[in-house]
Amino acid sequence: MSRLMRTSEVAKRPVVTYAGEDVAQIKDVVYSAGGGAVGGFTLAGRGLFAGPLKQGLVWTSVAALGADAVMIEAESALQPTEAVLDASASSGGSGGNILGSQVLTDTGMDLGTVVDVVIEVSGENGGQCDVVGYEIEASEALGTKGTRLLIPLPDTIAASGEHLIVPASAKDFVGQDLAGFGAAVKDFRAQLEGGMR
Amino acid sequence: MRFSEAMGRKVVSTSTADSVGKIDDFVVDPRIPTVVALALKKTDSGDTLRWADITAFGADAVTVTGVERLTEADADVTDLLGKDHRLIGKRALATTGDEIGTVTDVEFDPSSGTVTAIVLDHDQIAGNRLVGVGSYAVVIRAEPSR
Repeated sequence: MSRLMRTSEVAKRPVVTYAGEDVAQIKDVVYSAGGGAVGGFTLAGRGLFAGPLKQGLVWTSVAALGADAVMIEAESALQPTEAVLDASASSGGSGGNILGSQVLTDTGMDLGTVVDVVIEVSGENGGQCDVVGYEIEASEALGTKGTRLLIPLPDTIAASGEHLIVPASAKDFVGQDLAGFGAAVKDFRAQLEGGMR
Repeated sequence: MRFSEAMGRKVVSTSTADSVGKIDDFVVDPRIPTVVALALKKTDSGDTLRWADITAFGADAVTVTGVERLTEADADVTDLLGKDHRLIGKRALATTGDEIGTVTDVEFDPSSGTVTAIVLDHDQIAGNRLVGVGSYAVVIRAEPSR
């Protein structure tokens, strides 16, 4: 089973052990593989006044990412934040902030700026957590300036922290909401693979 | 039998026929998952009755052989005692990270103490799917165990 969610919804979600204790909450998402997958999370303490934690969570230690909580088997799944960031960097994570980046097509058209990231969680324990799309604030090029749209992403993308390059055909697969967006991503990726052959 | 029915039930000594206390709380070990002890109130001596020391868990009273069966809580019981380890009233979270309801009651077998079911506001879950009970949530295995 797979499901889509926005990373802004994941932030602040509690990290709960199988023993039922909320040991932390998600502060930020760390991307790996050039921004194509979720590598882990940085954490903050629970409660209003708790600051950031020195510990983070790598994706492989996550038992499940659900609608209401991030499940881990035990508190020992947490690792020093540097380890999480290093693991992401060594797999080619850009490290830069994706939010606010300008999305350009490979034909040089500005589609808009990134306001949110859509991830797809598939499988349990050790399953994948792919970045499948961006929510963008659309530019004039899409004819609906200012509205929020979802654009699907190919498996791998080029990101510099300033620009993100997506294939021009991505604009034919934009969606308005998460329902049905999964199918759009699938169609888009299938179309790209078809084009390569 | 449900926790809500048994709460407040009196504990009677069979040797003296005296009432020695009332059930105040259930101490559940979620790993087994079983009621391992009863926390009592209105007692003269200790406030903990281990499940193994119960003579019978009857419909109207819990019987023990004598008041000396009541002890002070020892380490493994205090670890499981208190608000953090109580099931009722807590949110139920599946191991998939989805909230599935609120625990309203717990069903147990009065002969063995085994937790047979966890009663949620809109659902009922088999007792063997209980994974853990903590300050934040009661964790329930998402798939029925084989």
